[in-house]
Amino acid sequence: MKIKSLKLREAHKGSANASFCSILWDLNAHHLVTASSSEPSISIHDPLLPSNPPRVLRHHRDGVTALALSPNSTCLSSGSIDHSVKLYKFPGGEFETNITRFTLPIRALAFNKSGSMLAAAGDDEGIKLINTIDGSIARVLKGHRGPVTGLAFDPNGEYLASIDSIGTVIYWELQSGRTLYTLKGVAPDTGSDTSILNVLSWSPDGETLAVPGLKNDIVMYDRDTAEKLFTLRGDHTQPICFMSWSPNGKYMATSSLDKQILIWDVNRKQDIDRQKFDNRICCMAWKPIGNALAVIDVMGKYGVWESVVPSSMKSPTEDIPSSRSKNSNGLLFFDEEDEEDQELSMSGSLSDLGEDSHGESEPPSRKRLRKQSVIDDDQHEDVYNELNLCTKTEYRKKVHRINKESSDKERDGSRSMMTFRPKMQEAFQPGSTPPQPGKRNFLCYNMLGSITTIKHDEYSHIEIDFHDTSTGPRVPPMTDYYGFTMASLNENGSVFANPCKGEKNMSTLMYRPFSSWANNSEWYMRFEGEEVKAVALGGTWVAAVTSLNFLRIYTDGGLQKHILSLNGPVVTAAGFKDELAIVTHISDCLPSNEQMLEFRIFNISKGTQPFKGHLPLTPGSYLTWFGFTEEGQLSSYDSKGVLRVFTSQYGGNWLPLFSASKERKSGENYWVVGLNASKLFCIVCKNPDSFPQVLPKPVLTLLNLSFPLASSDLGEEALENEFMLNNLHLSQIQKRIEVMADEGLDTTPLDDEAFDIEAAQDRCIFRLIASCCNGDKLVRATELVKLLSVEKSVRGAIQLATALKLPILAERFNNILEERLQSKTEVLKTSLPRSKHDRNVKADVAASMALTATERSEILEPTFSSSSAKLSAPLLIKKVKSSDRVKFGKPKTDGDQTACLEDSREVNDAGKNAGPSQVKNLQTQRPSNPFLKLPNNQEEKKVEEVMSESQSQGPSNPFFKSSNKVGEATGIQQSHRPSNPFLKSTAK
Amino acid sequence: MAGQSDPHISLFSAEEVEFMAEDELIEIVPNMRMDPLNFICGDFGPFLPQIATQVPMWLAVALKKRGKCAIRPPLWMSVENLTKVLEGERDSQGAFQALPFHYVEISRLLFDHARDDIPDMYMVRSLIEDIRDVRVHKVETSLEKFSGTSAVKIPNLSAMEVNIIRPFVGRALQAFYKHDNPEKIPDVDRASSGQTRVANNEPRRPLRR
Repeated sequence: MKIKSLKLREAHKGSANASFCSILWDLNAHHLVTASSSEPSISIHDPLLPSNPPRVLRHHRDGVTALALSPNSTCLSSGSIDHSVKLYKFPGGEFETNITRFTLPIRALAFNKSGSMLAAAGDDEGIKLINTIDGSIARVLKGHRGPVTGLAFDPNGEYLASIDSIGTVIYWELQSGRTLYTLKGVAPDTGSDTSILNVLSWSPDGETLAVPGLKNDIVMYDRDTAEKLFTLRGDHTQPICFMSWSPNGKYMATSSLDKQILIWDVNRKQDIDRQKFDNRICCMAWKPIGNALAVIDVMGKYGVWESVVPSSMKSPTEDIPSSRSKNSNGLLFFDEEDEEDQELSMSGSLSDLGEDSHGESEPPSRKRLRKQSVIDDDQHEDVYNELNLCTKTEYRKKVHRINKESSDKERDGSRSMMTFRPKMQEAFQPGSTPPQPGKRNFLCYNMLGSITTIKHDEYSHIEIDFHDTSTGPRVPPMTDYYGFTMASLNENGSVFANPCKGEKNMSTLMYRPFSSWANNSEWYMRFEGEEVKAVALGGTWVAAVTSLNFLRIYTDGGLQKHILSLNGPVVTAAGFKDELAIVTHISDCLPSNEQMLEFRIFNISKGTQPFKGHLPLTPGSYLTWFGFTEEGQLSSYDSKGVLRVFTSQYGGNWLPLFSASKERKSGENYWVVGLNASKLFCIVCKNPDSFPQVLPKPVLTLLNLSFPLASSDLGEEALENEFMLNNLHLSQIQKRIEVMADEGLDTTPLDDEAFDIEAAQDRCIFRLIASCCNGDKLVRATELVKLLSVEKSVRGAIQLATALKLPILAERFNNILEERLQSKTEVLKTSLPRSKHDRNVKADVAASMALTATERSEILEPTFSSSSAKLSAPLLIKKVKSSDRVKFGKPKTDGDQTACLEDSREVNDAGKNAGPSQVKNLQTQRPSNPFLKLPNNQEEKKVEEVMSESQSQGPSNPFFKSSNKVGEATGIQQSHRPSNPFLKSTAK
Repeated sequence: MAGQSDPHISLFSAEEVEFMAEDELIEIVPNMRMDPLNFICGDFGPFLPQIATQVPMWLAVALKKRGKCAIRPPLWMSVENLTKVLEGERDSQGAFQALPFHYVEISRLLFDHARDDIPDMYMVRSLIEDIRDVRVHKVETSLEKFSGTSAVKIPNLSAMEVNIIRPFVGRALQAFYKHDNPEKIPDVDRASSGQTRVANNEPRRPLRR
């Protein structure tokens, strides 16, 4: 590349200091307009006769900081440090009007492509959109935190892009004035130096927005989604301060603080030419016709760089992407612009008539399209281009929404530090947030407390806080020279690990117990040629998964206990008491962007692996949280906001228990912290944040768990959801009871819990039955009745069906009840203690039959009151019942059995004693309840039938028996006794 | 606040009004674990660390004093909202902006006990003082114009403000009634019917909202 020298000519004297200068071509390349922020004058030069003195406009009282020329070159606008925006006729230069005033200096001006609107902004808050016709302010766009230094109207007229001096880019939608995207910190912070202004520019076809990047580069953003498309990075050694697209969008000129101008071939993303200057170039403009670039430096010297693009390549003004056609059809393709066109013609009144008519004949097209020398065969191509462009814009609009969604997702992605979805997701710690410069971030946040870190130059500062300050240990803050990025926390201690950084800084694992009887009980492990990827902490163990796919397990004292090889690269790990759960990749992602993950649960103390299997995720999502519920159920949360809990039902499966999309109020993201049986604990983050900041201290929000139920014709989703959740809890509890019973532990508290849930479940089912009856879903109602766990509820259902005048249904319910009673008596045959107890309960049920199911909590009361005369029954009854439920045929110690038997006998006696009085009660109730009569009578008859069928099945209706044939019943019982194997053994 | 009114003629002293305001609910974020509390005024809790819950003001203050919770300032106590309210108060001469009935007392309690929980504490404090001054001034000027009516209606007046003007307004109304009555003896029926109609139209404002 040959270095040409370019002679610059002084345009503005100004001061000795560097000041921002602007330069512009008019449409026909007949004039060059320059201005300097150190001088109040605007100069209009003739590029053909540079030696001629320029025409000078002196209307401002202070330096001119911004210039803009309307697309048809009839109107010049200037902004100044003196807070005013002025309009002039062009090329005459007659002062027209002070179109607006600010309270602080103006920094940027831009016309939209029809010239009907002028955007002005500066150190003031807010960008003003001004109608050029009457000078009224159409809108003020507020959102920037710093002085706005660059404005650019999208050539297609939909958006305005703006940039401020602290490097924030905002996409505005012109129609509504809303912020579409805010890209924070994407451009360099220019500080308080007003001679450097961040700028941005749309490509002439409007598809990409060029913004100076943080790495001395230019970053291209997508028009509709604001996604980063690509960067132009090359030999600039300092940040870029100005850029300009060639009229056809194929080339770009960039100038940087390093006093160079680079010319880029945008398609090849390569620089093709460069020029070095004595001073920084602060503004450039491509000549609209031909191959030249006008430049001006910070000292106010300007020049024109001829033949910028090598002659071997296409001219920068050739093949201008066009929406313009020579025939007037062009307007049809821009229907939405019609209004603006009219405005444009009106705005023409600002300029003289000749120019006006010219401007009107100009279709609403881009400023750079106006080529005077039209190539003959151009027309055909133009039409083609136009069609092409048109379909493309329509297509764009269609995909716009989709893209928006995906970009939302992308933003979520920052949590797991994953930027591109089709990639396999990287390892993460549950409850960590990505590091942010100068701010604290969470290494670990769980239901117990948090570990935060902040990076200083050489070291980090780590603090461990417990949410519960009254009981949690007080942990002094620590200084971390390793640069830990992973951590995990539980009641006993915390574990930290850092990735390796070069050879010097090896990956280290550190465990720090919170209280220990021995001094200096923290320990370190160093890994050579291996890197810790995830850590987890459990009751008495520490686990680390490394880059070699090793699972290393240590005791909390630091003993290296196990090293296991895992199947694939780790995603995350979580620990709870004895259990360790690890998620690994099985294979690369599917083409449909689905992560292929596998989980394993290890029981560390037993050395077993109770479960392993695929970890399901919503298609197109990735794992964002993984952990245990407070009860110890494994659960996961993915980026689409679906929470899943592992259950051993159906041989081990994941149940979707929460969906953020159902819950989400617009603009909220849920950052999961933990969950228990019925609630999800999360931190609600306002969009676009997807993770919480350390300060102010985040507050947990409780959300209800709910299955993603389809909306049924019953319209009782809440009840159905409760029904399913209760079922789930019941099965979980029964599972635990089994496990505990196997271990020979006391299951009483769990039994109580199970009993409560059963009661709640019956209430829920009863309400469902009611709504089924009302909704005429009779089959569903009978199914539900079969699920009721207590007879009394069934009777309540019968009553309900009768009350609702559904005799067929009542009949069916009755049959169900009979079947149930029959099966109960069969059970009764097999075991005496149980049957006795059941009979007792049944007697009560019968007695309190008239009560509705919702009063179920009172069921047991009669039992208690009747038997409490003799013994403290409540505990006992439950115990008997629970032991029945757990394992009935299981042999027990003799002592237990006899006690059990005696107790139950006593209970039975108590029940018998109480029997007659209850019967009386019942009889007094009967006449008052006409509905009850029928089913009860039938029942009695049937019971009698059953009795006559076989004597052993006789006492199916305890109330019947106890009221009439007490003596006989006991006789029957005695005759049963020998059939009980337990009794035999105890009799010996 | 106490300086605003003469405690001898007020029905309630400022402290008593503050005491009543302590029954207002406010959101706290506890940092300890505690079972639900069952009071006569209701059940509060359970208290779980870092999970917000609603408690009466007095309980919040008591917990705060023991370092067991952080108080979340109510939404209306943001600088943004207060600025808006202040502007509104200054703009409209007659009307009062909607603020909680006990805003003076609640803000006072929070400033006394939960300084660290209020962002931009000094700004908020000065805004509330400004608002209070503007409103009190407005109340006083409107009382100057107070003339022979049988009822006074001022919506959105707060407890403390009502407390200040209550004795004066009450007596003034009595006086008006007394002075008007003898002259209007033939019209007593009409006047009293008019009076009751007004009273019916404006149901008495309960002390607590």
